[in-house]
Amino acid sequence: MYSKDYTDIVGGLVLICLGLVFSAYAATHYDIGTIRRMGPGMFPTILGVALAIFGAAQIVPALRRAGNKPDIRVWTPIFVLGACGVFALMLRSCGLIPAVITLTVVASLAELEIRPLRMAAISAILCLASWLIFVVAFGLNVPIARWPF
Amino acid sequence: MTMGFLDNITLGLSIALSYHNLLYCFLGVLLGMVIGVIPGIGVLASISMLFPITFYLDPTTALIMLAGIWYGSSYGGSTAAILLNIPGTPSNAVTALDGYPMARAGRGGVALFMTTIASFVGGSIGILVMTMFTPVIAPYALRFGSAEYFSLMVFGLVAASTISGGSVAKGLAMVVAGLMLGTIGADMYTGVPRFSFGFFELTESVSLVALAMGMFGISEVIATVRRIKPGDIDVDSVGLRAMLPTRDDWRRSWLPTLRGSGIGSFFGTLPATGPAVAAFMAYAVEKRSSSDPERFGKGAVEGIMAPEAANNSADQTAFIPTLSLGIPGSPTMALMLGALLVHGITPGPALLTESSDLFWGLVMSFWVGNLMLLILNIPLIGLWVRLLMLPYTWLYPAIIMFICIGTYTVNNSIFDIWLVLVFGFLGYVMRIFDWPTAPLLLGFVLGPLMENHFRRAMLLSRGDFATFVESPIAATSIILTVVALAWGLWSSQRNRKRRAAALQR
Repeated sequence: MYSKDYTDIVGGLVLICLGLVFSAYAATHYDIGTIRRMGPGMFPTILGVALAIFGAAQIVPALRRAGNKPDIRVWTPIFVLGACGVFALMLRSCGLIPAVITLTVVASLAELEIRPLRMAAISAILCLASWLIFVVAFGLNVPIARWPF
Repeated sequence: MTMGFLDNITLGLSIALSYHNLLYCFLGVLLGMVIGVIPGIGVLASISMLFPITFYLDPTTALIMLAGIWYGSSYGGSTAAILLNIPGTPSNAVTALDGYPMARAGRGGVALFMTTIASFVGGSIGILVMTMFTPVIAPYALRFGSAEYFSLMVFGLVAASTISGGSVAKGLAMVVAGLMLGTIGADMYTGVPRFSFGFFELTESVSLVALAMGMFGISEVIATVRRIKPGDIDVDSVGLRAMLPTRDDWRRSWLPTLRGSGIGSFFGTLPATGPAVAAFMAYAVEKRSSSDPERFGKGAVEGIMAPEAANNSADQTAFIPTLSLGIPGSPTMALMLGALLVHGITPGPALLTESSDLFWGLVMSFWVGNLMLLILNIPLIGLWVRLLMLPYTWLYPAIIMFICIGTYTVNNSIFDIWLVLVFGFLGYVMRIFDWPTAPLLLGFVLGPLMENHFRRAMLLSRGDFATFVESPIAATSIILTVVALAWGLWSSQRNRKRRAAALQR
């Protein structure tokens, strides 16, 4: 427990910063126009200010109440997002099958334990499924497997 | 409406019963069932996962399939709620209150059978309401101008983000964040690429599929891994023989089912509420009007019939504002709207006259789909139960793979996979800060439409804001927005007090 709801306070500050930066960028890079004839910059500028206001509104009550410590996972997001990342990197250069295998291996690590047999089984099933569904059924045009160098 | 009502029905049936559409309707409801049964995969995540497939289909078929996933998952969601006390979808959470005690008492089979019936009745009544009301609303909506649309959208967004009972400031902040994401891409009047930061891919706009998949699919995986354990289920209690309800069950059930359907139909049409709120309201009404409220929460059959009828009828009536006004009331409906927009169809009052085959085909496919679900659900209960025991360890790598390949296939774009990664991270950060994701998606889909109407309204009124109060419809929407805001503030205050009181005890 915290004496104040720091999660909401930090969150509100993040919103205020995001909103103001967004507004400032829109106002300086795009034509604002007039209320009657709005340019591309008007609507985004208004939105950014609105976000900052709602961010501030989130902070005010948080100052007057106790808050819980947020539950943040570190390794799970890294492995799950990493699985997407390696897939994006490998799909075109190495082909579908190597990309799917790497994705499965990296994703399985999010369990925080290594079970080689299970990993191999899931990879095999997913390789077959992805090939059948996307290549055979939908005719997706990607290399199946290739040497990138 | 030049055609008679019967002609419309015949037209709809001829489309819904075509071999092709039957097949995709079946696929949709089957997938919906499966997804609804398995805890840890939400409807939104699964619809966005299957979204890319619809690009290969014609719009009517695509919508029939997506809609099938949507109402199919409500059927399936009750299975997990009753047997495991884990609602497959949020709208089934109420069903677990009395369904799980029933299963514990060895009446799981009866509960599953009865909820299937309730779902079917509720769904059918919802379809009936939709068939009757949409053609009435649409011609009226044809006269709406930009000021009216803008005010209606403001009402929809404010209501959807505040009434749910969470923090009002957070809900509104996320709507605005969604609107901001919606401004990325070419400005519709001048063609200036906004916020593209030199990425060629962003000069178009952010891909809806990538956003939905990242925010709902990937972030859900991150939050669920290592949290769900497959439960132990007494397989005998759900055999075919154990499913037969007693005469007492029937007697207690029919009135709550009808009441639940009525409540669901009403709340389904409202922009804020949707099936989850409808189910909750139906449960509350039954408990309050019961002569014996003590039974609720201990396995009362009324307690599962009313909410299941309500959420299924709300599933259907939610299409009324989406199709007749082009204003989606929930993120799922926003995705449906997105599917139509991708195919070049703008939902709105003109849809009924210009694409009447799409509208009536879709409505009739709902009947067909509900019937299929009734048939699928009961004999295959054993299979659904087995699916429930599938461990998440095996599932989530498959989910991540389908999300990545699925996103790629939409535009053959590697960039979109990176966007999934970004939005997955963002979705997780939003979970940590307890920011709701649904308003963001609604804002993102409605953003460009809203900006367009806002700018056009200002152009027409020569910059006079009075245009939003002069038209009765616009003025009513603005008043309703204020009411929704006040209600939201009041209910979130009340919820917070209750939670504080519960903490002290």
